[in-house]
Amino acid sequence: MQSTFSGIEIGKRGLFSHQSAIHTIGHNLTNIDSDGYSRQQISLQSFDPFVVPGLNRPSITGQIGQGPTVASITRVRDSLLEMRIVNESSGEEFWKTRDRYLRMLERIYNEPTELSVRNLLDKFWESWQNLALHPDQSGARQATQERAAALIEGIRHQYLQMEEVRSMLDREIQVTVGEINQLINDIGDLNLEIAQARAAALNPNDLLDRRDLLVEQLATYIDISTSNRDADDYTIYSQGLFLVQGEHGRPLEVAPNPLQEGFSMPIWQHNGERFINGGGRLGALESLRDQDLTTEIRRLDDFSINLTDLVNEIHRSAYGADGSTGTNFFVEIPRVIDTDGNFDSDGDGLFDVTYLFRVSGENQLETHARIGFGGTISIENESEAVTIDYTATDTVGQLLDRINNANTQIVARLNREGGLELKALSADSEEFPDYVIRSLEDSGQFLVGYAGLLNASGAAGAYNWQQADAVGALRPTAAFATAPLLHPAGWIGINPDIADNIQSIAAAIVDPGGVFEIGNSDAALAIAALRNNPVLVGSNQTFDEHIAETIASVGLRGERADLTARTQEQIVKQLKEMRASLSGVNIDEEVAELIKHQHGYAATARFITNVDSMLDTIINRMAV
Amino acid sequence: MFRISTELSHLDTQFNLRQREFYLNRIQNKIASQRRILELRDDPSAASHVTQLQSYLNRLETFAENAQFALDTYQYTEGYVRQGVEIMQRVRELAVQSAHGIYTDEDRSLIASEVNEMLEEIVSVGNAAAPTGNALFGGTRISASPYAVLYGRAVGDDAEQIIAVSYEGNIDTRQTEIADGNYIPLDFAGNRLFWAQNQQLFSNVDASSYQAAIDSQIRIDGVSIEINAGDNIGAIVARINNSSAAVRAAVDPLRNGLVLETTHPHQLWLEEDGTVLLELGILGSGNAPNNFAEGSELFGGSLFDALISFRDALYRNDSEAIGGQILQGIDESLSNLLSGVASIGAKSSRAQFVQQRIQYEIPEVGEAASQLRDIDFTEAITEFRTQEYSHQAALAAAGRILPRTLLDFLR
Repeated sequence: MQSTFSGIEIGKRGLFSHQSAIHTIGHNLTNIDSDGYSRQQISLQSFDPFVVPGLNRPSITGQIGQGPTVASITRVRDSLLEMRIVNESSGEEFWKTRDRYLRMLERIYNEPTELSVRNLLDKFWESWQNLALHPDQSGARQATQERAAALIEGIRHQYLQMEEVRSMLDREIQVTVGEINQLINDIGDLNLEIAQARAAALNPNDLLDRRDLLVEQLATYIDISTSNRDADDYTIYSQGLFLVQGEHGRPLEVAPNPLQEGFSMPIWQHNGERFINGGGRLGALESLRDQDLTTEIRRLDDFSINLTDLVNEIHRSAYGADGSTGTNFFVEIPRVIDTDGNFDSDGDGLFDVTYLFRVSGENQLETHARIGFGGTISIENESEAVTIDYTATDTVGQLLDRINNANTQIVARLNREGGLELKALSADSEEFPDYVIRSLEDSGQFLVGYAGLLNASGAAGAYNWQQADAVGALRPTAAFATAPLLHPAGWIGINPDIADNIQSIAAAIVDPGGVFEIGNSDAALAIAALRNNPVLVGSNQTFDEHIAETIASVGLRGERADLTARTQEQIVKQLKEMRASLSGVNIDEEVAELIKHQHGYAATARFITNVDSMLDTIINRMAV
Repeated sequence: MFRISTELSHLDTQFNLRQREFYLNRIQNKIASQRRILELRDDPSAASHVTQLQSYLNRLETFAENAQFALDTYQYTEGYVRQGVEIMQRVRELAVQSAHGIYTDEDRSLIASEVNEMLEEIVSVGNAAAPTGNALFGGTRISASPYAVLYGRAVGDDAEQIIAVSYEGNIDTRQTEIADGNYIPLDFAGNRLFWAQNQQLFSNVDASSYQAAIDSQIRIDGVSIEINAGDNIGAIVARINNSSAAVRAAVDPLRNGLVLETTHPHQLWLEEDGTVLLELGILGSGNAPNNFAEGSELFGGSLFDALISFRDALYRNDSEAIGGQILQGIDESLSNLLSGVASIGAKSSRAQFVQQRIQYEIPEVGEAASQLRDIDFTEAITEFRTQEYSHQAALAAAGRILPRTLLDFLR
């Protein structure tokens, strides 16, 4: 038998259900701008009907409905779509970060404008041309000094700007690692809350939204993958290692990297091992700092050390207006104090390595001369030796080309006197010192008797840097220079002796008889001619080519980053649109629902009024 | 059906407007700076070409300046040499006149004093200086006068007169670059221009059994010649003749001594690192060119020598010599000077040619660089208008569509 008041119960359920629905709509409408919010759907269903089948059921016909109830409030979200967004986000941020920093790098080059280092270099060469015309005028010398000062200023400024960007990257890496840790912690905490809510059979829609938002943020910093196999044990992996598992997070920290000039590298806090990810913003920052910027600085260093070395080589042999000779035009700061390049690398008080930057033989060679005998030169690169064969019919020029094209980190050329000159480049790997010739060996006579560099051929006569007094393998007549201090672009400068006395800027080469004349300007011409001579700056033939190649390479990298960033942005945008289409709040839709539920509420209220008047009839009108 | 959430249209509008603004801003910047390449990424390969072209342009401008400087130098050098030619032509007239027997001693003495003035004048031409005050004809020894004059008493006249003129300059020359790796000399040594005859140097040392003891180097007119240990006189002669120096070597068949002879009129300029020429009786002590050995015999002299001997012959009344040897010397001096003028003219036309070429090349290279670097204004302005319109359209559409929801239509 039904209760008299069951109608009111039905009406009450209806009111509560519609109220919940209206509140959910209100929640949706008010959260229309909340980050990461996904719309929630309330689903109403009819309450269990009266009566439940059983032996003791009252005997009535049919089941009488008992009004609505709230079955669930769920968020509308596609977890597969979510995973794709997480996957693509790291790529988007990677390229966007690259794009941003490469743009900075491009601006440092100031090309193609009149304010670039290239233009200052042009002016520098021009001043030597002018000095060649007026070797007797101190005005021309003054101009040379000023142009050189401007060039140095330009190179140093460029270097400092690059270093600035590099330390900016380093700081951003530290900040990013901090942010990643924050996210790892927050996600762990949320995981706990979510698990607790789930245990209480609640549907923690808003907490899940918040977690998705944090995961998405984390995905912009590094490459991650997520797994929700166990609903209570949500896991985030980086390269197969878990970052967050349920409430447990594995934070990172930064430590100085001795192989990267002490710049910070991210490591795992729990075991101190290097954190390798390579994706997202962190990956972009690391590769920008350790590869792009380091390469650019290295290029500038190569450029500076070659400029210093080549100009000084001529300048030293030339005479100034005051008859002085043997002075360097640019300062040279050696890395080692010992004049034979000996250095104590392990700090045990004994010399154990030899740092030579350049060696040159005394014998005069001809580019077009045939060598006339065969052999194999071997030069160490990284850990293995690169071998370069030559035969009797090869010309000297061909062999030099072969040495330069082999990946030896050594360049060969004939200097002004025709002597064979071998110069070390900056090392590709951080394990080896920059601008140090590591080994030279010749099974034939080319480096030995022909060029006059080594004492003996074969392994017995080989030059090797990993020993003290390695210069002993060189002939006494061979000239050599010890390795310069790191980052020549940072310390390149005019020799103070020259700055004090511009008359010692050397323009003249004495005639073969050894008589110095102020009117001679062959040295100035020779220095001006360096610009176009195959002087081998890095892997390029001339200074101009070196600059052009640098420009092209930076531009191309920027172009690629720009294009890829835009493509990735499109992809992520489309994915996010799909998500917005599914999970986003639509006002029209919500308002229509609102109207529906409002009317439902009004109708329910009307129903209760009806029941009320029915009860009124029973209670008040019936004369008992 | 693709469901459109309210935020979706907002996001889309924002994204599109941002993009429109980005492109609008970029084209605006390009127009404002008139450059197509604002950043290297806009066209990396073009940017790389432009840097090379701009450097080349800078270089061309330097070359043009160098060529202009060379032209200026040639111009005043030629002026002085032409003055020398005029003087020598007058001297030649005097020589032809005075070779006749019809002049009296007094006449000749008058002519002699005129020749003396001419000599003074041409010495001052030889010591001429450029506007910068540098000696023109002293090679790279520019700070001192190239010609030192010795005054003394000439035969037949009591006054102090020039009795010797010696060259103090050198044979080196300044050069300037007028194209990549292409140099042109700026200086003309006086001992080539103001010279009369081929020089011959006879050694009086018998060289038939000579052998060089060690490797050494000799330099003739600045050209280095390597002498190897064991070379005999024949080998040395061959080495000298095979070198590019304008000097012929031979062995005197009578005295077996080494003979050096210039192949066009200029002063012999001998230097050595070892002792080969000393042992061969060619060189003594001192610096070139005043370093010939004591016993050696030197023939052939400069234009000044020719003038001095002309004057002295006038004083001596030696009309026979004037008509013969001296006239020939003057003729040789004159033709040498004229060939100097021709050589300067040839060099200045080379410099002029280079300058003209550069004048053509600068605008061409500039245009090439400009095409790579600068904007095509028509294209840019069209793009700008297009961007502007689409920006306005996007704004207008956003303005109309965005605020409309169901709420606007409820009471």
